[in-house]
This record gives sequence, C-alpha cells and structure tokens, in this order.
Amino acid sequence: MRRYETLFIVTPDSSEEDLKAVAEKIQGVVTGMNGKLVNYKEQGKKKLAYNVKKQNKGYYVLMDYLGLADLVAELERNMRLDERILKYITLKLADTVDPEDFEVQEPEPSEDTESVAEVEPEVDETVETQESEEER
Amino acid sequence: MRRRRRAFPRRKVCRFCADSSLAIDYKDPKMLKYFVTERGKIIPRRISGNCARHQRRITTAIKKARHIALMPYTTIQPH
Repeated sequence: MRRYETLFIVTPDSSEEDLKAVAEKIQGVVTGMNGKLVNYKEQGKKKLAYNVKKQNKGYYVLMDYLGLADLVAELERNMRLDERILKYITLKLADTVDPEDFEVQEPEPSEDTESVAEVEPEVDETVETQESEEER
Repeated sequence: MRRRRRAFPRRKVCRFCADSSLAIDYKDPKMLKYFVTERGKIIPRRISGNCARHQRRITTAIKKARHIALMPYTTIQPH
C-alpha cells in the first residue's frame, strides 16, 4: 500500500454539520475502497491567499491515509463533484507501507509526532516524483 | 588602474544544510514566506543562499502552497 496525504479546502459558509457530513463522506470513500485512514484533522478556518470559487476563506482539512492509486482517483473525483470542496492537493508520502504499522483513525497526539518524524525524509525524496500526481 | 570591485557579500551558507532540524513543508506558509518577495516571487538562490538541493525543495513547496491557496501567486489582484 501507499501512503498519501490530501489537503483540501471546504467552503467557509459550511456549518459544523456540513463539516461533519464532508468528513463522513470522504472517510467513507477511503474505507470503502480498502483504504486505511491514518489521520483526519480539521485545521480550522483560514484566509485564502487568493479567491477560490469567489470565497476568500475556507476550512482546511488534512487527511493522511493508506491506499492504492484507484482510491486517490476516486477520492479526487468525489472532491471535484462535491461543491463544498473548493480545492484539494494529494501527495504521496511513501511508496510501500505496511498497513499493520498504523493505527486506524483516532488522531492521537503521540501518533502525530511519531508520524511527523518518520515522514520528513520521505517527503523530500518524493518531491520530484510528486508533480504529475497533484497537477492532475 | 584597477576597476572598483563590487562589494563582496558575505558567503552565505544554506540554512537547511546548517540546521537539519528545519523542515521544508508546503503546509507551512510562515516559513516559506521567507523565501518569496513581497509580491510573492520566489527569491533566487544567489540571494537566499540556499544550496541547489534545498532551493529546489523550497521551490516545489512554494508551488504546492500556491496551488492550495496558502500562498499567493501574485499580490497584484486581477480585476
């Protein structure tokens, strides 16, 4: 399996419930396609550097998961169709990952720091190969 | 007669090579902001002092940050 990270922006006029609905839907896609969710974190409302779909603010959500290429394709298709999602970017963090190494869901702080330390060298390595992935 | 030399700026060392704890991450616009001009242009390596490898990573990180609207492509707003 591969490890991916998707950062996406949810429209600013969504309510708590909308955010929950988006989370459920997105997480449903991940688990429904045999993916494994590692972390799903809402980063709160932030000002955008430029207007996207006439909005100047948005809720950023960072999701970390394991899966295969078809999962990413399906996820991005869903994000494109969903009007609540303004923009997204997907990065591959690692090429071969053992799903056993990761706890399912639950954004624990301890796991967070661990994954950060582990990911950094990987990110650098994959930077060059990423371009085609996310430009799509 | 010797022509006047341009002032020699201090030889800069790549800050990422000097301190390996610094991470380059597209999700951290506060750090990346340091490597763009006020107008949002990427500062060249000869000014920023980064080595080739880290400049390349900075550049890709900035481009990713721009894509996800964490950093501006330009600060001159089109009408």
